[in-house]
Amino acid sequence: MARYLGDDWLLPALDAANESWFTAGKITVQSCDECGVFQHPPEEVCGGCQGTNLSVKDCSGGGTVESVAVVHHPVHPGLSEHCPYAIVVVSIDDAPGVNAIGNVLNHPPHEIAIGQRVRAVFEEVRDPDSGGMLRIPQWEIAAEV
Amino acid sequence: MQGQAVVAGVGESTYYTRGKSPDSEFQLTCTAIRNAVEDAGLDLAEVDGFVSYMDSRNDPLRLAHALGVKELRWSTTCWPGGGNNAAAAVQLADAGVTGGYANYVVAFRGLAQGQFGRFGQPRGLGNRVHGEMAWRGTYGLLSPAQECALHTARFMHDHGISQEALCDITLACYANAQRNPRAIRYGRPLTREEYHESRWIVEPFHLFDCCPENDGAAAIIVTTPERARDLDQTAVPILACAQGLGPKYGFHAFQERWLGGTFYRNVGEAIWQRAGVKPADIDVLQLYENFTGPVMMTLCEMGFCEPGEVEAFVADGALEGPDAKLPFNTSGGNIGEAYIHGFELVTEAVRQVRGDSTCQIADVDLSLVVAGPGYAPGSSVLFCRG
Repeated sequence: MARYLGDDWLLPALDAANESWFTAGKITVQSCDECGVFQHPPEEVCGGCQGTNLSVKDCSGGGTVESVAVVHHPVHPGLSEHCPYAIVVVSIDDAPGVNAIGNVLNHPPHEIAIGQRVRAVFEEVRDPDSGGMLRIPQWEIAAEV
Repeated sequence: MQGQAVVAGVGESTYYTRGKSPDSEFQLTCTAIRNAVEDAGLDLAEVDGFVSYMDSRNDPLRLAHALGVKELRWSTTCWPGGGNNAAAAVQLADAGVTGGYANYVVAFRGLAQGQFGRFGQPRGLGNRVHGEMAWRGTYGLLSPAQECALHTARFMHDHGISQEALCDITLACYANAQRNPRAIRYGRPLTREEYHESRWIVEPFHLFDCCPENDGAAAIIVTTPERARDLDQTAVPILACAQGLGPKYGFHAFQERWLGGTFYRNVGEAIWQRAGVKPADIDVLQLYENFTGPVMMTLCEMGFCEPGEVEAFVADGALEGPDAKLPFNTSGGNIGEAYIHGFELVTEAVRQVRGDSTCQIADVDLSLVVAGPGYAPGSSVLFCRG
């Protein structure tokens, strides 16, 4: 599957905080083992109870579009062939208060609307540094219920 | 009403389109400071403090040597960020003077983007995005315009606001710039049709919703009321300053708690409480336009109007000229005068109290600056008649 912004577009550098998000092949969000608060991006201390026992929880992969902006002006030379493109803010089902940034695949940018239901899909890319697989969370419009 | 510290002088360099300054950033900054000192009628050697913000490259020690000051007693900068700290820099200067640590503190901002590159542009990304940028750069969210567009789009959706509200904010800045010979947009008026025909940068922002990029510097001299009595200018009291909590930056700002706002509700509450006044008491407002959308949201968060009223609040020239319903960005602001990262708004707010603006409002008692919206900590400063 070609990546939304092209196969040459920037890849995330993995670190302890984001490795689950970018490799798990499912939507995962950090949650506090003590008080249950979800927080994103992950932190070393829980903002709810200041606990340090934190783990990642699996979510169902559903979400809702909370905002959308269509980009026309490429601020990076690698995007000049890919405008216009849409950036979305998606609220994550099963993780109250948590939103993620993403793109909606296989859908015209101007037909993405706030309130639309989406489901997670994953762009699989081999990490050129580690040789492992990246599974970058993205979104598709969910079928009407 | 009386503040504890006062502004004794204001100054600026010539303002230039990005890359067109014949002078370096450091030279522009020294010029603005010398002009502020001259405006005050102060001996340059007596300056003993410097405050800036936004990772200023203009080091206080280098400035002190170049300007020939005798002693340096107060050198501070606000926690890194952007134009959100334009008013916080005045607060730190006030703190230095009011605390008795220094006598004449310069607060300033100088920039030459032709010399040093464009603020807000992604640089040095390589082929990987790291840390906070990994969460958004991976998805093509790279610039402040895009970040502010996502917040603005949600706000417009929630409150049924049309593109005309954003257009009206831009047109007010351009109209006011036509009165100001310092303004880069002086002699270059903008029509509603030209606004709508301009290209999209990122929806809902057209080209003219975005402040331009400029080279220049602006500065003020902060001192005590007692010392100001021996100087030349009308002293302008700093009645109140405030900063406020917001999300850390970038990706953190899109969590549910913060989406669709600019993090200024708390800044407003703090400044109204400290000053003992309310939004309706403000005679003239300078509100940092990084982009028009955040201006609209901040007007609401600061308490000037409700979100459902804001389109009507800014319509029909309500922000334009000296007879505006709410006089706004009277020098032309970031969009019309020059983008000196909001410090040109500070000098204009002081001029309004002194009575020497190019778009002078009658009988100004309260002149408010609201610094860069959409990035935390937000800040605000309220000047009053002495």
